Amino acid sequence: MVRAVDGVSFTLEPGRTLGIVGESGCGKSVTALSIMGLVSKPGRIAAGEILFEGEDLLKVPPARMRAVRGDRISMIFQEPMTSLNPAFTIGDQIVEGIRKHRGIGPGEARRQAIEMLERVRMPSPERRFDDHPHRLSGGMRQRAMIAMALALRPKLLIADEPTTALDVTIQAQILELMRMLRDETGTAIILITHDLGVVAELAQDVAVMYAGRIVEKAPVEALFAEPQHPYTIGLLASIPRLHLEQARLPAIEGQVPDPLALPTGCRFRPRCPFAGAKCVEDPALEPLAVRHEAACWYAPLDANGARAA
Amino acid sequence: MTPLLQVEDLTKHFPVHGGFLRKSTSKVHAVDGVSFTLAEGETLALVGESGCGKSTTGRLALRLLEATSGRVIFRGHELGSLDEAGLRAARSAMQIVFQDPYGSLNPRMTVGQMLEEPLMLHGLAAGRRRERVAEILGLVGLAPQHARRYAHEFSGGQRQRIGIARAIAVEPRLIVCDEPVSALDVSIQAQVVNLLRDLQRRLGLAYLFIAHDLAVVKHIADRVAVMYLGRIVEIAGKRELFARPRHPYTQALLSAIPVPVPGLRRQRVVLQGDVPSSIDPAPGCRFRSRCPHARERCAVEEPSLASEENHGVACHFWKEIAPPAALLPSAATAPANERLERLQSAFTQGASP
Repeated sequence: MVRAVDGVSFTLEPGRTLGIVGESGCGKSVTALSIMGLVSKPGRIAAGEILFEGEDLLKVPPARMRAVRGDRISMIFQEPMTSLNPAFTIGDQIVEGIRKHRGIGPGEARRQAIEMLERVRMPSPERRFDDHPHRLSGGMRQRAMIAMALALRPKLLIADEPTTALDVTIQAQILELMRMLRDETGTAIILITHDLGVVAELAQDVAVMYAGRIVEKAPVEALFAEPQHPYTIGLLASIPRLHLEQARLPAIEGQVPDPLALPTGCRFRPRCPFAGAKCVEDPALEPLAVRHEAACWYAPLDANGARAA
Repeated sequence: MTPLLQVEDLTKHFPVHGGFLRKSTSKVHAVDGVSFTLAEGETLALVGESGCGKSTTGRLALRLLEATSGRVIFRGHELGSLDEAGLRAARSAMQIVFQDPYGSLNPRMTVGQMLEEPLMLHGLAAGRRRERVAEILGLVGLAPQHARRYAHEFSGGQRQRIGIARAIAVEPRLIVCDEPVSALDVSIQAQVVNLLRDLQRRLGLAYLFIAHDLAVVKHIADRVAVMYLGRIVEIAGKRELFARPRHPYTQALLSAIPVPVPGLRRQRVVLQGDVPSSIDPAPGCRFRSRCPHARERCAVEEPSLASEENHGVACHFWKEIAPPAALLPSAATAPANERLERLQSAFTQGASP
């Protein structure tokens, strides 16, 4: 049995953006799918609770969960073609959601859908309404998917690598769009990404995941300026910086552990240059400063990486 | 000194089939009049967005694709004029590393077999081969016993090491690296980038480094060529290009990079719209449909690459366009963080007392 996500806890306030970062297989996407109630078999949520506006989503019956999804919580994905149906027009797909959840007539639904396409800055929205997804460019598909996700004004938007498949100039357009829509609608966002640059641009709070666990949580400025977990320190060091001349990139040696053979104690221990005797036991997330938590026995490390007693 | 590789006016058009009787009526202008040189031991990065022709240029340079027109001169010989034997000899000196290490490794061969194959083709005696395989594995940071394993037994980063091992096995002078770290996680990406730099220093390799990640390019390249719709729009030394980008597209590209500095104040050049189709492009500058500085002349006359002090720009008005300030972070907008720097150097130097 693989514990893809193991004891993850976080809270998100209305209108805020939480970035969840980590490398492949760290469990960030599974965390998102769990909230949506979309973990596919044989996967299951073995324990925990997901409180959304005070209600535990894990106890909501499937029929009503379908009403929550799309209406109050919605999701956008890395590859829009996986969530857009190639056989239907963009307009039909947006209208379907609006009519199903709101029970309004086709004319009004069409009007709302076109308005939504305008809000995501789709070029010539009236014409694009009748286009099939393959007729659109990658950036326009992403806009169509965002329009679909936000058509019902959800309280929470889960964005799983929303700009990873896009070129950098298109990525800049989509990030700007997401920032603008967030400020306009007050939708809370869970932003899942491997790109620390994207996190710095969009998120207000950040959770760093490693091997199924959150290892550090902090407001975005604190995370980049004063990272406390050795994994976060190593991760930030390993991205090449545009304004520095670096002879070598500080890499994190070794590789992410196999989820079937996780190390005992702290899961980062085998790659951690600061590991010590205490690390054979599993560290829990402990507060270090206001809203700043890390799961490391030796945090905060002093400036030379020396462990406090 | 003659350059290692010289590419002159390279052009590749792909016919588009469609319509009645699937006649070919139009052409994709994938690469259109690209020229550059690459010296021994140098890294030239080709950057640009999907469909700009950077990968096609890499393949044309190796003659893995036949060019529609233009010349590729490698170590003084024009590749198009070489016979089969000559081409094979040239090819052992020019290798390629792909983005997807899994897709480019044979799942039915052990790593040892994969590395021995090119050695055999290039006539190394059977007795020496095993020894050489162990040596190559050592160079890329793997162990001799890895030779007995299959590609699926390795992680993504290790597979890319195998891809690199295969490329350096026959002692090439030039490696075309086609997005070699794009599929890797950041912590692994740093390992592979470091490896490529170490190998370059030890073996004197030249890289044609194709990538879309400009931060990686800034780290690894000596010179950078920016491509847009099949053409080089700007080429310069990397410090010059990142400090003083002159083409409006380069300026937009640099300003669009998400930078891991929260709250950074910088100037944005956000481009409207998408990259237009490369099928039968209209006359004039190809960037004009998205260019904030486009004028009448740009629609009629295609700008050629004009060079001044080793900085080439293909724009009619580049001297009039003021280079925007603060596109990228600098020491002023992203001040150094002493505690973090010391922690990070402690991190790489290993455990503390």
